[in-house]
Amino acid sequence: MTIRSQLAPPERTALRLGFLRLSDSAPLIMARELGLYQKYGLQVDLLREVSWANVRDKLVSGDLDAAHMLAPLPLATALGAGGMRADMITALVLSLNGNAITVSPGLALEIAGRGGDPLQSARSTATALGRYLRETTPQPELTFATVHPFSCHTFQLRLWLQAGGIAPERDVRIIVLPPEQMVDSLARGIIDGYCVGEPWNSVAVQYGVGAVQVTGHQVWNNAIEKVLGVTAQWHKLHPGTHLRLRLALMEACTWLAHPANRVDTARILAQPEYLDMPRDQLLPSLTGQLQFVKGQPARELPEFHVFGRYQAGFPWRSHGEWLLQQTGAVLGKTLAPERIKALVQQTFRTDLYREAARYLDLPCPSGDYKPVNRHNSAWELEPGIELGPDMMLEEWL
Amino acid sequence: MTAATTTAAPLRLILVDDNRERAAAVEACLALSGFAVLSVIPTASGLLFQMAQQEPDVVVIALDSPDRDVLESLSIASSHNPRPVVMFSEAGDQGFIGDAIRAGVTAYQAEDINPDRVRAVIDVAMAQFAAYKGLRQELDQTRAQLAERKLVEKAKGLLMTIHKVSEEEAYSTLRKLAMDQHQSLGATARGVITLLQQPKSARRRP
Repeated sequence: MTIRSQLAPPERTALRLGFLRLSDSAPLIMARELGLYQKYGLQVDLLREVSWANVRDKLVSGDLDAAHMLAPLPLATALGAGGMRADMITALVLSLNGNAITVSPGLALEIAGRGGDPLQSARSTATALGRYLRETTPQPELTFATVHPFSCHTFQLRLWLQAGGIAPERDVRIIVLPPEQMVDSLARGIIDGYCVGEPWNSVAVQYGVGAVQVTGHQVWNNAIEKVLGVTAQWHKLHPGTHLRLRLALMEACTWLAHPANRVDTARILAQPEYLDMPRDQLLPSLTGQLQFVKGQPARELPEFHVFGRYQAGFPWRSHGEWLLQQTGAVLGKTLAPERIKALVQQTFRTDLYREAARYLDLPCPSGDYKPVNRHNSAWELEPGIELGPDMMLEEWL
Repeated sequence: MTAATTTAAPLRLILVDDNRERAAAVEACLALSGFAVLSVIPTASGLLFQMAQQEPDVVVIALDSPDRDVLESLSIASSHNPRPVVMFSEAGDQGFIGDAIRAGVTAYQAEDINPDRVRAVIDVAMAQFAAYKGLRQELDQTRAQLAERKLVEKAKGLLMTIHKVSEEEAYSTLRKLAMDQHQSLGATARGVITLLQQPKSARRRP
């Protein structure tokens, strides 16, 4: 009660939030199930959207107040890449990790036949794939799919391919497909592999039409994945509502950080009004027990999805800059460092994150940038600020 | 020279919409307005192929299609021809964007096409989508009313046979019940039917 009375009144209480059918939409859904929106005086309608383009356009047109978004999307939208240009911001990261790269059983055999072992490292399977491409004449024409040009999925797929000495622009074809069409397209042989968020890797494994080669976590430990996106204009008009919304979601993320809550989460996400799919397809990644190939024992991956720990909610500007550099690479452009810095400063609102953390009495990093590729286990940045491993495969080359 | 644009070849377009009825209406309307509709497809799973084969100037797509992300990606991948760009990217007209989104339609155009011509395509599509939505709502409403009337008739009939009352009495009983329970007549009728259709033994139990 005391916290609520200190908070500025909300400019509006009835909100429309967009989400996609993905396991990492859990914070938005659990905040509702746990009554956290209500706790902060908000009444939230959750709207299931079918494409990221839709989410972005509805935010810009005001049909949505806020949404679950791919981390690079607010930056790409501010840059005007692809779709429409609009100033977007994020003041809260909803999750880290959560993706994997899956290939057809046939391609998995070629990779395994050349020593690629998914249990070993991301580089192991990438190197084997590179050998398969170079040693086979004529060179096989492989098509990979990702969920959006400006997504961590695209960046992770490119990093993995590059680790195997494969040029993503030249040696393979990369197309975009909606997450829900991935499994079917793989089964029909339209594509040879994909990088997608859960549950769409587990679904392919359970049907026996795909084998996981590498997790997003293996490509980049604890990479930023989904954020809470709003337009800059919306934030300006509703700062009090935005803060309350972030507080509700931060509490949901803290709840999700407890492994004991993940089975319940899978049960709730499975319901028709949310992801509307069997609970057994949601359990593997949410409980950190991912099966890579049908029939094999599951691997223990407690950090497959990270919510609410390792300062997961903090929108690191160092992450933002990396995302924009990668966005530039996909566009075939080099963005000037000053431009990148300015865009990230205006889009990744660390000041607003700190404001929310103060209300919840959560520790918060004092700087906006952090090193990457230095730590292979959890480490302490400052007293009370524990961060996760941050190795990135690129540097291992 | 505006004459050049008006007499130019008709814009060639592909329509992506998983709603067959609506797609047919939009197609007819676009054709009437002088646009060449190359094909109508339900999802984009065949879109990449269709785009390569037919090289449309514009792709008009239902907003609730997950394939919008696929289309947007084509504006970045230079190997695809034609290169569509998002209609809205240059326009920056938020009112127009909002209208299109609410109508449920968006369009992607080839780069060298005059945006005003594409706008005309969207205007036609938007009007059709909106009209369809309106018709749909009307139809749903009529259906609901019809279903309610049927329920009321059935409840009345049951009341008349079981309680041996006149049609008028049966109707006023239903209306009174509905008012007391703050329910619609249809909902009350449904409740009465459930109750009266139970076997007698079950009904009599307290």
